[in-house]
Amino acid sequence: MIRAENLYFSYTGTPPYVLDGINLEIADGEYVSVVGENGCGKSTLMRLVLKLIKPTSGTIDTAADKIGYVPQKNDASSSNFPITVYELLNSYRKLLHRKDKSMIPRILDQVKMSGYEKALIGTLSGGQSQKVFIARALMGNPELLILDEPSNGVDLASQAEIYALLKKLNQENGITIVSVEHNLQAAIANSTQIYHLSEGRGHLCSPRRYANEFLKAKGRDDSIA
Amino acid sequence: MQNAFFVSVFISILCPCIGIFLVLRKYSMIGDTLSHSSLAGITMGLLCNQSPVLGAFVFTSVCGALIEFLRGYFKKHTDLILTIVFALSVGTAITIISSGKLHTNADAFMFGSILTVTNADKITVFILSIISVLAVLLLYHQLIYIAFDEEAAQVAGIKVKMINYIFSILVASAISVSIRIVGVLVLGSMIALPVATALQLGKGFRMTLICSVLFSIADIMLGLFISYYLNVAPGGFTALVSVAVLVSVIAVKKVGSAIKRAAVKAS
Repeated sequence: MIRAENLYFSYTGTPPYVLDGINLEIADGEYVSVVGENGCGKSTLMRLVLKLIKPTSGTIDTAADKIGYVPQKNDASSSNFPITVYELLNSYRKLLHRKDKSMIPRILDQVKMSGYEKALIGTLSGGQSQKVFIARALMGNPELLILDEPSNGVDLASQAEIYALLKKLNQENGITIVSVEHNLQAAIANSTQIYHLSEGRGHLCSPRRYANEFLKAKGRDDSIA
Repeated sequence: MQNAFFVSVFISILCPCIGIFLVLRKYSMIGDTLSHSSLAGITMGLLCNQSPVLGAFVFTSVCGALIEFLRGYFKKHTDLILTIVFALSVGTAITIISSGKLHTNADAFMFGSILTVTNADKITVFILSIISVLAVLLLYHQLIYIAFDEEAAQVAGIKVKMINYIFSILVASAISVSIRIVGVLVLGSMIALPVATALQLGKGFRMTLICSVLFSIADIMLGLFISYYLNVAPGGFTALVSVAVLVSVIAVKKVGSAIKRAAVKAS
């Protein structure tokens, strides 16, 4: 689904690189969590996948025609924007040239947000607005869903709902998911693979192996069997 | 007065249609900067013996496109962009005015004037307004999406850069249409204040847009009629009416919430 070869990126076009020779292959149907310290290049990698920025050198390609994107939640911009849940989704439906109006209540039901059509986005809780943004991303029937810290600013109960939904979308609908994560517990519990980025380089491993590496690095011996 | 009334109707519809996207993108100062660009355009139009409104439209469009271009260049210092365009515009206007080569007084464009609206202006305003409102309607959903989240809009396949350039031209159009009545100095207020007032109502996008247009009509008509009888410049007075309407709406809103809170406490 996603293939990166000798991928280098720096915002100035010269070293030091934010991404320093990334080689990555994510297969169809995977649920990959991208983890790492702040500023290690997780969001930059996602922006490269989404073609919002261009690599300094190397290549990054995706086989998906339809990509859904759930950006990092920005309370400041969305809370002041005068738009209802229905207006937001309906605008996107029209941009997609989809005539079926019934898709809005159907998708809102899928993300457990039925009944919130008339609510202003700014009046929703962090978890509710995140579910609306996932609903918006799902309207284009994506093959690949990219999320940037989906649990950021979301209460624990809503986090559980969001991760259950993502897991369901991955396992039942076959949507490939790539999610930038700070929430290591959620990443280990839900992903099929973890991509760990550190100092511009990364490696892909199983959640179990990542958990053991993480515990070892923290000096704890209670590795997961 | 008839010509002024005709032009005012178009201003009050077009300005909030453009202004709502500027305000929501936190670009309302662009309106202010471009209104100063229009002064340079007016002086250029007068210098070349062409329609000042058309001159304003052309030069303001160029400056709007320049802002969009510089947004890509000065990514980390976006505050510099408006300073650069402001300097270019005011520098051009002052140079032309002070050269003594203009045979008309540019003051009417600074403060707005009912008497200077000509039939040629009426036609220019009519054409620019119709094309601009149609363009906004055509790009309505794209503009909402870009204003809400520019990056997500790009991922959704919207040609953000191209639409931003078209939008710059629409802003230029709204400004050129308004300069005759409102004047350069307070033009930014006509773009932002009716929208700011409508935002106080806490409604969805469509309703906020409709209310912005209604507030805009009320502001301009009241400003126009009262300034006529007081014999003062319509631009300045319209800006005062806009501020008064905004303050009144905020006051009513505050009093309403205080009454509600008191009722809840009492129950």
